[in-house]
Amino acid sequence: MRNTLLSALLLALLSGTAGAEETKLDMSSLPDDLAARLRGMDTVVTNCNGCHSLKYIKYRDLVKLGAAPAKVDGWRGDKPLDAPLSAQLSENDARESFGGVVPPDLSLMAAAREGGAHYLYSYLTGYRTDAKGGTVNTVFPETRMPDVLGIAAETDMQKRAEIAEHTKEVTAFLTWAADPHADERRRLGKYVIGYLAVLTMLLYVWKRRIWRRIDSQPPIE
Amino acid sequence: MLKQTIHWIDRRFPLTSFVKHELTEYPTPRNLSYWWNFGFLAGFVLVLQLATGIFLAMHYKADAAMAFDSIQHIMRDVNYGWLLRYLHSTGASAFFVVVYIHMARTLYYGSYRKPRELLWWTGQALLLLLMAISFMGYLLPWGQMSYWGAAVITNLFRATPFIGEQVVVWLRGDYGVGDATLTRFFALHYLFPFIISAAVVIHLIALHKVKSSNPSGINLAAKDNIPFHPYFTIKDMFGLGVYLIVFCFFVFFIPNTFIEAANNVPANPMQTPPHIVPEWYFLPFYAILRAVPDLLGGVVAIALSVMIFAAMPFMDRSHIPGGAHYRPYYRIMFYGFMIDILVLGYVGAQPVTDATVIVGRVASFLYFALFLSLPFVSKAEERMMRKRGLPPHLQTLLDAQHRQHQPRKGGKHA
Repeated sequence: MRNTLLSALLLALLSGTAGAEETKLDMSSLPDDLAARLRGMDTVVTNCNGCHSLKYIKYRDLVKLGAAPAKVDGWRGDKPLDAPLSAQLSENDARESFGGVVPPDLSLMAAAREGGAHYLYSYLTGYRTDAKGGTVNTVFPETRMPDVLGIAAETDMQKRAEIAEHTKEVTAFLTWAADPHADERRRLGKYVIGYLAVLTMLLYVWKRRIWRRIDSQPPIE
Repeated sequence: MLKQTIHWIDRRFPLTSFVKHELTEYPTPRNLSYWWNFGFLAGFVLVLQLATGIFLAMHYKADAAMAFDSIQHIMRDVNYGWLLRYLHSTGASAFFVVVYIHMARTLYYGSYRKPRELLWWTGQALLLLLMAISFMGYLLPWGQMSYWGAAVITNLFRATPFIGEQVVVWLRGDYGVGDATLTRFFALHYLFPFIISAAVVIHLIALHKVKSSNPSGINLAAKDNIPFHPYFTIKDMFGLGVYLIVFCFFVFFIPNTFIEAANNVPANPMQTPPHIVPEWYFLPFYAILRAVPDLLGGVVAIALSVMIFAAMPFMDRSHIPGGAHYRPYYRIMFYGFMIDILVLGYVGAQPVTDATVIVGRVASFLYFALFLSLPFVSKAEERMMRKRGLPPHLQTLLDAQHRQHQPRKGGKHA
């Protein structure tokens, strides 16, 4: 017992020191309802998609998510419905504008960082004005992306709250984009677990019935 | 009609006698606890991995330029492709959970002891195969962690004396991990399950020769053995139900638990991730590798840490039955070993700091110290127990075993 306690203490101490250097992510709750996703979609397609591609998402997927077909038609122009959401900025232009870096694809972004959507939210709202008057990102200091939301310079609390809300919707859309079947998966999961629970109970009853034949024998130990 | 058909088959193939011998009349100790369910579960997970793997292979493309995209194609476009992939990726972890519990049970109850040495060693071979399969399978999604994990592990073979450089190139098929590595890992990842299936058959043949061990640690009298079917088929089915509830909870609600975030970024040979972590089931061994400052020493240590289990039948010198159940010192060592493995696993997941290096070295030392002290501890323990007099129920068990063995000395009718 004392052994267990000691090692548990040791582990707790170690994890404390190891985690201290990492930036703390904002873990406030994020929406994942359809309305938030659709509003986030508007922001992503009309803004982020300018520089960032979403190559695993097709225009048809947006319609399936619930976007008005007319709106999607407006976005895609003469591209087919099954075209992926490529960035409007070409890779070469992007390299020129961002110092040799192509803005990363966003389809899997919500799954590609430790912390997932919380990372995205913390990162997007993580811009601060530094001592020299420039902006710096507290979550990812090396980032080449400018403070697109303008949160660093914004001092009005009302406006800041609006930006935060906006950002949360963006994370809702990107979470869907990273795993479009998540809703279906969870819905199906409830039935699967429910079925297995009933089946397992029946199997237990059956097991008891079969084993009753020898349960009268004295235990071996 | 059915009777006639079976009769027709029986004259050509030993169907009925096989079922009788291996199932309906196969003697199984009636006191097996639920810890004895995990061998069957391992077999089930193997079948599930085979079934999902074949369907995944129909949609996967083993090509460095297409592999990552084809996984997303499976996840997004293939009907229930997400289910196949999550079953398979969660199944890999489940395989290790089940096999590690199966091994822990063997260690706790001393099931590796005479006459089950070969059974234990075929199990050891299965563990090595499983590790190779999962390592190769992990490269296939071609994410950052896939790529760098394979780069780090294949690089270990550089420690081979004289021909290290050549061995690494031979394994990778190129100077670095690349398309050639991916295609050969895919081919082998598809081949090895057949080898593992054959090895499972050998494991089962060995089992059916020596029969299952049981918590008491002695071979029970005939009256205390019951037929496998229906008693243990139904018990295994119930265990399977419980297992599937847990497994499906992971698959349907938290399937990304076992997928590193960095593996959702396509492999990039020009950019090393901040810290490369193997899958959770390799972490304790990875910690042992890192605990040794020298590459060759580290590789020897990691190989020994996996292979040392095979030496258990020689190192455990005690004749007291029932494993840790009746043996106080061995029980302390068993639980100490479990805690030590958890500490090593934790250390293996952390970035290298002064503190983790010290803890990792102490835990690695303890890992081997526990094994190597076993011959002396088990001998001393038996002496101590016999001197103090065995508890009456244990003495009864030993006497029962003794009586069972006596008549065999006379005739050859075993």
